[in-house]
Amino acid sequence: MEKEEAEITGFNEEIINIQAAIAGFESGHKLNIAITAEPLAGRTMLINEVEKINYQKVTRLSFSSTVKNKGEISLPEQLRRIVLIDDCQFLYTRRIGGFHILEDFLELMTSSNNIFITAWNLYSWKYLEKVVNIGKYFPVQIKLPKFSTSDIKECILSRYKPNEIKFIENEYEKEKIIEITRHPVVIKPLKNPIDIPFFKINYDTLKLRLFKKEKNISVEDVVFEKIARISNGNPGVAKIIWQNSLEYPVIKPGKIKEFSFNIELDYNESFILGVILSMGTIKKKELSEIVGYDYGIDETLFRLLEQGLISIEEDHCSIKPEALQSIVEFLKRSRLVW
Amino acid sequence: MADSNTINDTISNTTNNTINSTIDKTVQKITATPAIDMADILSAILILIIANLLIRAITFILTSFSERVGIYRINIKMVLPLLKFSIYGIALYYILGNIFNLTSPQSLAFSGLLGAAIGFGLKDLFADMIGGIVITLEKPYQVGDKIYMGDYYGEVTDIGLRATKLITPDANLVSAPNYLIFSQAVASSNSGNPEMMVVIELFIDHDSDAFLAMKILKESAVTSKYVYVSKESPFTVLLKDYPFYRRLQAKAYVNDLRYQFEFESDVTRRALNEFSKNGIKAPNVNILEAEGYGKIAKRWEP
Repeated sequence: MEKEEAEITGFNEEIINIQAAIAGFESGHKLNIAITAEPLAGRTMLINEVEKINYQKVTRLSFSSTVKNKGEISLPEQLRRIVLIDDCQFLYTRRIGGFHILEDFLELMTSSNNIFITAWNLYSWKYLEKVVNIGKYFPVQIKLPKFSTSDIKECILSRYKPNEIKFIENEYEKEKIIEITRHPVVIKPLKNPIDIPFFKINYDTLKLRLFKKEKNISVEDVVFEKIARISNGNPGVAKIIWQNSLEYPVIKPGKIKEFSFNIELDYNESFILGVILSMGTIKKKELSEIVGYDYGIDETLFRLLEQGLISIEEDHCSIKPEALQSIVEFLKRSRLVW
Repeated sequence: MADSNTINDTISNTTNNTINSTIDKTVQKITATPAIDMADILSAILILIIANLLIRAITFILTSFSERVGIYRINIKMVLPLLKFSIYGIALYYILGNIFNLTSPQSLAFSGLLGAAIGFGLKDLFADMIGGIVITLEKPYQVGDKIYMGDYYGEVTDIGLRATKLITPDANLVSAPNYLIFSQAVASSNSGNPEMMVVIELFIDHDSDAFLAMKILKESAVTSKYVYVSKESPFTVLLKDYPFYRRLQAKAYVNDLRYQFEFESDVTRRALNEFSKNGIKAPNVNILEAEGYGKIAKRWEP
C-alpha cells in the first residue's frame, strides 16, 4: 500500500535556485522569492522541502482562505530569518477594495529585514502581475516546470515498495492509432444537434509503431507515458489519474481513461470558473462577494458541478483535477485567465 | 491623263477589294464562332449559383468554427472576404473563358458593353466592387472589427462584393456601400484584435476625495469580468479639473469587443455604488443643467 510520505521529485533546479537566493541573502542581498505554479503542480511539496532543508531558520505562514484582516498577516515576534508563505493568492480578492491586504503585505515585506519565500497560484500571479505589477517586489521568480514522464514515474512509484505494482497489458487492450469520436454540432434549422464523427489520432501509439519501439518499450513505460500526457506533466493530476486507474496491485494501460470535457458555459459561469481556478479553492461566500448582486452564485455553481468541472466540500469550491487542463484551455480561449 | 485615271481606278478597286475581303473574313470569323445560346446562359447561371452556395457553405463553416475558438475568431473571419472575391473571380473567369468561349473581338465587344454599362448605370456597383477588393487587400478593417463608417458604428459582420454589413449597438443591420472607403474616413476601434479600448467617464464634485475616487474607478476597471490587461493593452485612470466638477476617465481594454457596452456598464455601476458608500458625490445637478453642460447632464440621466 501507499507510504505516508513521499520523497520530493523533479524540483532539483528550483531548490538550487532557492538555496542560492538564501545564500545571497545571508551575504547581504535581499532577494524575495515568488514560486508560481498551476493548481496541483507541486507548489506545497516544494515549500515543504525548502522548509525541511532550512530547518530552524524558517518561520512558516499559511493561509487557507481569503485574508480579510491586517492582523492575519502580522508577523510573529520570534521571527526567523526566512519567512515561508504558501497560498499567497489569498492575499487579494477580485473586487473593489480587494487589494488593500496585498498592499499592506507588500509594504510589510519590503520594510522587513527577512527574506520572503512566497508561493502563488500561477493564474492569480499572472493577473496580479498585469494589474499591480507584483513582479517588481520579487527579484527571484520561479515557475514550476511540468514533470517529465520519468519524474511522474518516480513521484508515483516512490509511494510503493519495489515490484509492489504489477503492470499488465492484454493484447486486445492495445491502443488504436485512430479513434473515432462524435461531437454534437448545432445547425440552426434543426432542433437537435447532429453528431459528426471526428477522427482522433493517437500520436503516442503512432510514434511507438512508426519507430517500432512498441515491442521494446515496457508496459510500465507505456503506463507512465500515457499518464504524463493526460496530466500534461502536472504531478497532482497524474496522481489522481493513477488512483482512478489502479486496481491494486494491478494497473493496465487500457484502463487509464482520457478526460474530455465539452465545456458549455455562459460568460458569468466562465468568469466564476476562472476565479475558482485562480484561487485553487475558495469559499462560496467569498464567491458571492465577488459576484455581488449580478447573478445567483448557487445557479452558477450548480452548472459547474453538473459539468463535472468543480467539486464543493464544506462550502469550499475547487477545480476537479481531471478537468484542469480542459478548464485552462477553455478559459484561455475566452481570455478569462491570461 | 487617261492612263493616270485608269491607274487610279485600278488602285482604288484593288484597295476596296482588299478592305471588303478583310471585312468578310472577319465577319466570317465572328460568325464561325458558335453564338451564345440559352444552354450557355443557363450554365453560367448554374456556375454563379454554385459559387454562391460554396461561399455560403464556407462562410457557415468558418463562422461556426471561429465562434468556438474564442480570441482567434477575428483571425479566422478575416479570410472570408478574400475567399469570396477569389471564388467569384474564378467563376467569372470560367464563365467567360470556358462557357462563352469569347474570342478577342468578342471580349473587346464585351468590354465595350461593360464600359457602357458602367458609364450609364452601374458605375456605383463597379465602384463598390473595386472598394471591396481594396478592403480585402488593404484591410482597413476586417470582419469582426468595430468600426465607424460614415454615420454608422458597429461590428463588421460581412464584407461582400457590394457592401459591408455592420450590426449597430441597437442590433440594426446596416449595409454600407464599399465605395465609402474612397470618400470617407473609416475608424477601426480594434484593428483586427479581439480586445478594444473602452473609455469610461465619471464626474464628481469638488468636495469629494478625488484620490479615493480614482482608486475606486481603477479597481472597478481591473476587477471587472470583462477587462483585459497586457503590456500592449494597459489601463489608466485620469483626472481633469473643470470649473464646476472633476472628470474621472478610465481607459481600459475589454477582452472581447462584443462586451464593450457591458464592460462600460459594469465598471460604471460598481464604481458609482462604491462612490455612494464612500461619500463621493456627483456634481450639483443645477450646474450640470446650466447652459453648455447639457452634454454632461445627459450622462447622469437614468
